[in-house]
Amino acid sequence: MDFGRYSLLFSLILAIFVAIGLTAGIRKKDGRFIDLSYRGAKAIFVFLTFATSILIYAFITDDFRIEYVAAYSERSLPLFYKITGLWAGQKGSLLFWGWLLSLFTFITVKRDEKNLNTLFLPYVLVFLNLTLIFFLVLLNFVTPPFELAAIFRSDGNGLNPMLQNPGMVFHPPTLYLGYVGFTVPFAFAMAALVMGDLGDWWIKKTRAWILFSWVFLTLGIIFGGWWAYKELGWGGVWAWDPVENSSFMPWLTATAFLHSVIIQEKRGMLKIWNLVLILLTFSLCIFGTFITRSGIISSVHAFGQSPVGFVFLGFLFVTLATGIYLIWTRYDQLKEKNPRIEAFLSRESTFLYNNIILVGICFATFWGTIFPLISEAVKGVKISVGPPFFNTINSPLFLLLLLLMAVSPLLGWRKTSSKGILKNMVVPVSLATVSLPLLYISGIREFMPVFFYYLSVFVIVTLMREFYLGTKAGVKNHGRGWPASFRRLVSINRRRYGGFIVHIGMVFIVLGLASYGYYQYKEDFGLIKGQEVTVKNYRLKYVDLTNLDRWNYNSVGSLIEVYKSGEFKGTLKPEKRFYKKQEPTTEVAIMSGVSEDLYLILGGWNRDGSITLTVVINPLLSWIWTGTGVVLFGIVWAVLPTRRREDGVDVIEKEIIMRLKGTGVE
Amino acid sequence: MRGRQATIVFSVLLILVAFIYLGFLGMKEGSMYYLEVSEFFSRLDDMGDGKVRVNGRIIPGSLNYNTNTLNLSFDLKDKDLEGAPRLNVVYRGSPPDMLEQEGVTLVAEGSYNREKGVFEAKKLLVKCPSKYEKKGGEV
Repeated sequence: MDFGRYSLLFSLILAIFVAIGLTAGIRKKDGRFIDLSYRGAKAIFVFLTFATSILIYAFITDDFRIEYVAAYSERSLPLFYKITGLWAGQKGSLLFWGWLLSLFTFITVKRDEKNLNTLFLPYVLVFLNLTLIFFLVLLNFVTPPFELAAIFRSDGNGLNPMLQNPGMVFHPPTLYLGYVGFTVPFAFAMAALVMGDLGDWWIKKTRAWILFSWVFLTLGIIFGGWWAYKELGWGGVWAWDPVENSSFMPWLTATAFLHSVIIQEKRGMLKIWNLVLILLTFSLCIFGTFITRSGIISSVHAFGQSPVGFVFLGFLFVTLATGIYLIWTRYDQLKEKNPRIEAFLSRESTFLYNNIILVGICFATFWGTIFPLISEAVKGVKISVGPPFFNTINSPLFLLLLLLMAVSPLLGWRKTSSKGILKNMVVPVSLATVSLPLLYISGIREFMPVFFYYLSVFVIVTLMREFYLGTKAGVKNHGRGWPASFRRLVSINRRRYGGFIVHIGMVFIVLGLASYGYYQYKEDFGLIKGQEVTVKNYRLKYVDLTNLDRWNYNSVGSLIEVYKSGEFKGTLKPEKRFYKKQEPTTEVAIMSGVSEDLYLILGGWNRDGSITLTVVINPLLSWIWTGTGVVLFGIVWAVLPTRRREDGVDVIEKEIIMRLKGTGVE
Repeated sequence: MRGRQATIVFSVLLILVAFIYLGFLGMKEGSMYYLEVSEFFSRLDDMGDGKVRVNGRIIPGSLNYNTNTLNLSFDLKDKDLEGAPRLNVVYRGSPPDMLEQEGVTLVAEGSYNREKGVFEAKKLLVKCPSKYEKKGGEV
């Protein structure tokens, strides 16, 4: 473990040398200094890999001399959870974070160091290295992961049972991958600013990084919801808690960024705006860490409160100040001489509205999250802002996003004649309208939910239409069969169709969230053995109370037979578990289906065998998980390399498709 | 051309106005006082009957739960104040985990019934101060 400590210290020294080398190299325009810095940056990765391996090794070998290992592991813990102990607590998380950053730095350097024309790499490395120095200072002086325990212990405290769940195993690393990933585009953006060259190059260079980070941020948020759903036992996935919000805010600005860079690529607009978005995204990642680690805003998720939060706050200020200063001093140079948006209804304008709405949701979420602090500072009393605020303001904004998703493919770039738009709208709108009577029959009659469902159908229909028209054009022009033409279409223009698939997935997620948000059903029952209750179309029979004695916990469970519409569906067993050395936890039982989830919580029991049972029915909730799968597939599809033959004939074909699709364009 | 720019600006403004309006609406519905028990009592007179969140600690032994009616009742007091006022809280539903654990604070969301002198909670949030940094302080 001394090796671990020394490699952290050595990494910091190296990083400082890299900073000096880069400054000297850039000042004197001397390639040798730059080259040395590249080597240094790569060496840091090696040292941090070494340090991280040592910590993992300490977990595997139950080295309880290390305080951190003793606090998050125990001998009887399964190997899998021992390894994940790396990110179970703050110190290990920060080491993992630093290691990821050094890995990403390594990849960034490796990709371009041999390329003699890369003027940007030293500048990019400056910003990556500064961020890395921040983490290394934390790891060396504020949260040393290899700190020794004050007393000798034969066994550790063990891992909180709530964290012994696959959702919690994947939630932190995916989130960190997302957070850390955004450092790279941020560094490129800052480098672009310093160099005063805001062309497309930095966007092209970082496209893969942005998609990568976005996907992991998305997965991290969803895994968090999944974990809360399975483990926390309140029946939901999202509660607008400050900790949840803090991961949602960078997601919103990153999503806005994903869209607005397309405008920059296609039309050369929004250059400064894109810089601001990436600066915001990176800052919000840091802000999120500040919120969760400082405990300044009361949240149901209680992290250990520590001064680390405020160190992050300091870092946040430095980052924002640097970003704003750079934009400020170069503003005149960057001002756009480029075309403005020409039409109220064009594809560009929908992207613009999309950005305004996403940033609006982000601002509203930010406001609601920090309002308790503001009110305390201004009025001297804490006013907390609950889910109704977030739902009231954000639901209509999400509806607008759905509307944009539906309308955008129907519009062309630049200008579209109103006639053309109307013509494109007729079929999708009429098809979507068919859903209205169906919604009415199934009891969905309130204003907001009807809008959510209607617009979701509308989006799906317009996207299907895109696939259909594209395929049809291929059939018509090349005499290919439908399947062949479809395959060709989606593999030639991967970005476009991958993006559409992502949208379909997002609609699924929104449907799942809206359905459970508006139509969740919840009821508590007191039951004696053998008693039956009817909840909606379920009949539940409480059969027996069981006791289990497992190797690391005892559990009390109730056996509940489930009948749906008279048919036996299985037996569920909601439990309460008593882990050794830990508090009791609720293990919910879920019967998940396409149309709804049945979710049972054992509230408590008595000596006579009677129990308290909470029954929750969540319609369409599993669509959230399905939708996430679809989103993931869409992104992977979009980033897979396009076939090289695209040059030549296929480009012409693509143009034809584009022209056919934009009937009424210009 | 200028007309179109104006339309875009106008539509953006419209979104902004709607956004601010929704914000006010949401704040009216969603914001509530977040008070410690003693603060709650000192503000009781100038506070409306709307929803409020009260943060405190359960007084040991005051917890009462009827498994047949699912009625839960307990007394809250300030986190660390000795002899602080007690707030009687009632709730219907199954009690959350860790309610009786030592050191646990709880946030009750609901409204105060002035006639009966009880706080009728609609939601209970248990906050464990050491959920993630387990037992770090004991070493």
